[in-house]
Amino acid sequence: MAHVAPEIFNGLILGAFYAVVAIGLSLIMNLTGTINMAHGSFMTLSGYLAFAMVSAGTNWWFALAAAPILTAIVGLAVERSLIRPLYKRDPVYSLLLTFGLSLIAEEAYRLIWGGNGVPFAPPGFLQGSVSLGFTDFPAFRLFIAVALLVIIVLLVLFLQRTRLGLRLRAAVQDNEMIAALGTNTQLLYTINFGLGILVAGVAGVLAAGMLGLNPQSYSNQLLMPAFVTVIVGGMGSLYGAVVGGLLIGVTVSIVTLYIPAASEISMYVLMAVVLLVRPRGLFGEEGIFG
Amino acid sequence: MSEVLFSGENIVKHFGGVRAVEDVSLSVNAGSIQAIIGPNGAGKSTLFNALSGFYKCDSGNVTFKGIDITSAPIHQRIAMGMGRTFQTSSVFPNLTVWDNLLIGLQSAANLAFRFRPVGSAQRKTMEEKIERLIDFVNLKASAHRPVAELAHGSQRLCEIAMSLSTDPVLVMLDEPMAGLAHAETERVVEVIRKLHSELGLTVLFVEHNMRVVLSLAQRIMVLDRGKVLAEGTPVEISANEAVRDAYIGKEVVEHV
Amino acid sequence: MKVTRRGIIAGIVVGLLFVVLLAVPLFASHVNLAVSIWTDVLSFAIAAMAVNLLIGYTGVLPFGNAAFFGLGAYGAGLTIQYWHVGFFGSIALGVVASIAGGLLIGPFLLRRRGIYFALLMIAFGQIFFFIADRFTDITGGEDGMTFTRPAIEWSKTVISDTHLYLGMLLLFAVVALVFWMLVRSPFGRSLVAIKENETRARYLGMNTDRFIFVALLISAAIEGLAGACYTLSIMNADPSRLDFHESGNIVMMTILGGSGTILGPFIGSLIFVIAQDVLSSALPWWQIPFGAVFVICVLFFPKGILGTILDVFEKRRGGFGYEARDTLHGTVISEREIQP
Repeated sequence: MAHVAPEIFNGLILGAFYAVVAIGLSLIMNLTGTINMAHGSFMTLSGYLAFAMVSAGTNWWFALAAAPILTAIVGLAVERSLIRPLYKRDPVYSLLLTFGLSLIAEEAYRLIWGGNGVPFAPPGFLQGSVSLGFTDFPAFRLFIAVALLVIIVLLVLFLQRTRLGLRLRAAVQDNEMIAALGTNTQLLYTINFGLGILVAGVAGVLAAGMLGLNPQSYSNQLLMPAFVTVIVGGMGSLYGAVVGGLLIGVTVSIVTLYIPAASEISMYVLMAVVLLVRPRGLFGEEGIFG
Repeated sequence: MSEVLFSGENIVKHFGGVRAVEDVSLSVNAGSIQAIIGPNGAGKSTLFNALSGFYKCDSGNVTFKGIDITSAPIHQRIAMGMGRTFQTSSVFPNLTVWDNLLIGLQSAANLAFRFRPVGSAQRKTMEEKIERLIDFVNLKASAHRPVAELAHGSQRLCEIAMSLSTDPVLVMLDEPMAGLAHAETERVVEVIRKLHSELGLTVLFVEHNMRVVLSLAQRIMVLDRGKVLAEGTPVEISANEAVRDAYIGKEVVEHV
Repeated sequence: MKVTRRGIIAGIVVGLLFVVLLAVPLFASHVNLAVSIWTDVLSFAIAAMAVNLLIGYTGVLPFGNAAFFGLGAYGAGLTIQYWHVGFFGSIALGVVASIAGGLLIGPFLLRRRGIYFALLMIAFGQIFFFIADRFTDITGGEDGMTFTRPAIEWSKTVISDTHLYLGMLLLFAVVALVFWMLVRSPFGRSLVAIKENETRARYLGMNTDRFIFVALLISAAIEGLAGACYTLSIMNADPSRLDFHESGNIVMMTILGGSGTILGPFIGSLIFVIAQDVLSSALPWWQIPFGAVFVICVLFFPKGILGTILDVFEKRRGGFGYEARDTLHGTVISEREIQP
């Protein structure tokens, strides 16, 4: 039993990653219906930017702060120029557009930084392990766990307590209404997108240290599981994204321990089971179809 | 003339915390034309959706032609003889009026799932029916234009014609005057009148426009905040104090 | 069926196209594009047509369609490897595999629409991918399976690349014809209606779930057919056929060529496969301009190449020539918006 505990802990960390990526996706999806297939690409961009900064000599902590912000700025530019024209059209267009962007991005990263990925080690004192009583644990992973927790808490506080957060939540419920009340909805959409990318950016820098940094844009490692998290947690629910992510992370980790070949499949099987029992996801809104 | 064609008993529909429809019962006699009115947010459209199968009722029963249809899927209700229009005309916008009607007729003739082309005899029958429907709503001039290009009133008429294409005995119209300019309203009122007087259909409609309601309906039910406030003939409802109170302070009554 | 001037012109153009395609074995070496590449063009054209049935006509976004392509590929490959079936047998079994896949995941997909449907389909596609990728003992894992092309059952001869190409051309013509007839049939028109407005379709008495399910199965079968043929052409089946990126490529081909038209997918496939082959040696980062072209297409030419051309030439006015309008409209209606 003792050797399951660290796996569960690992699973929680992985799950926290899935949750954070899913939250970023959900923020964008809930407000404008945009499925951002390039979400992973933004994460990767943030990782590479951090890598570039550190290679140029800056402090890792500075990169951790600056890279996501730069990436968010890129995100704002992309939203403003490419995605905004598509809001009045069917959501399929933005899905396709972001998919196209992800292809361009992946190839561009390959061109600039090479196809084999680059090593991106966390700062010295975060390497090595920490004793947790029941096991020794990589310090960086602990740091990630804390960082992700902080992000989630900050986001929740932002959405619940600030005026901007309130506007965002209101807009999700009824954007005609708040437009009528005088809010510049287009600007809100842009800010919302930027926020989602900012979250993705932080996750990207952290993921680079834990999962490695390569042009494949985390699509199989993080983006797909994030989609599954959204499905399992329920579309429209940020709370569901957190719970769903953690659930999936733990499931995958435990399955990896006992049946390694089935590790990725397990999350999809979990998804299928959840859908059979509760089509709307754990915390999703009741759809027309249940 | 007094058998009940369609009824809903103790219909309840909640959305999260919102009690949209709270224990509403209504019955519609065959061959009658009835209206449901009420201030904004009274739950009229929700009730319509619950009765027509778009929503699942949280509790309550819906009976049509003596058969319990509470859990029947939408397409089954249509096959049994229900037809419906929506507040924002629900049509096939990029298809012509002609093709919009064709789809309905195809479905009613059980041809929708067919892979071989329709035989010429059947095709001719359907085309004749389409012509008749187009004449009934007077859309001959725009028959071969995409519905999206038509004015709201014409779109609404097309939608009404579509709801007729499946040979209903009951037609439910959700705010048929919604979004129409004043001139267009008359055309639609005429068609609704004809549904009842010429085709002998049972008509149940939701409407805000009190003038239209009072001139068309034989019986009126008033909803307020999800509950039935009053029921009766137009004369009774006009005189009802509680009804007046519900409207005043809630909204400005249009087009009176 | 009325013979119109438009129909005659279309007939001539299509006829010319097939003449050119028939002549490919003759000029293939002169343009430095082996016959097998052209076979691949046709395989993907068929796959893209399958996707087109769903995107352009039924109004659902099958972003996980590679699952069916891959099931066809592995269905053929596995049965060749372990059951030693012949040429046509392997194709048939590939189709069976993909239909089985459709039957399996269909009921899940049907519970949702719009974005959710798309996400679910992607997710289920990934299940098949990981099965192929991880169960190395059976499927060869990451590297996939390589085998020699099986002989035709009755003649015991192995078909050459050129003859395979000609066979594929015939198959492509047949599929295109079937597609054309399907789109014109009452069933096809009902699909278009569902794409335009599913709620209204229901309120006209149509059991839309059934229609979408059958469309899904037809699409799965055609896609599986394409996958099986592709595998027999390159004599290899590997997990990337099932991957989400493959789905994306096929969707891109469909849209670029023109969803909502019959031969648009062929054009998209032609461009993609040839670009991939020709450009990848000259321009290893060819995906960047290709992706950019696709982005431009989505933004400014959503009807795709063929759709835009048809639009310019025809100024069609609605009806079942609705292709002239926004062909992707209605593909991803959010479930909230389905309410009137």
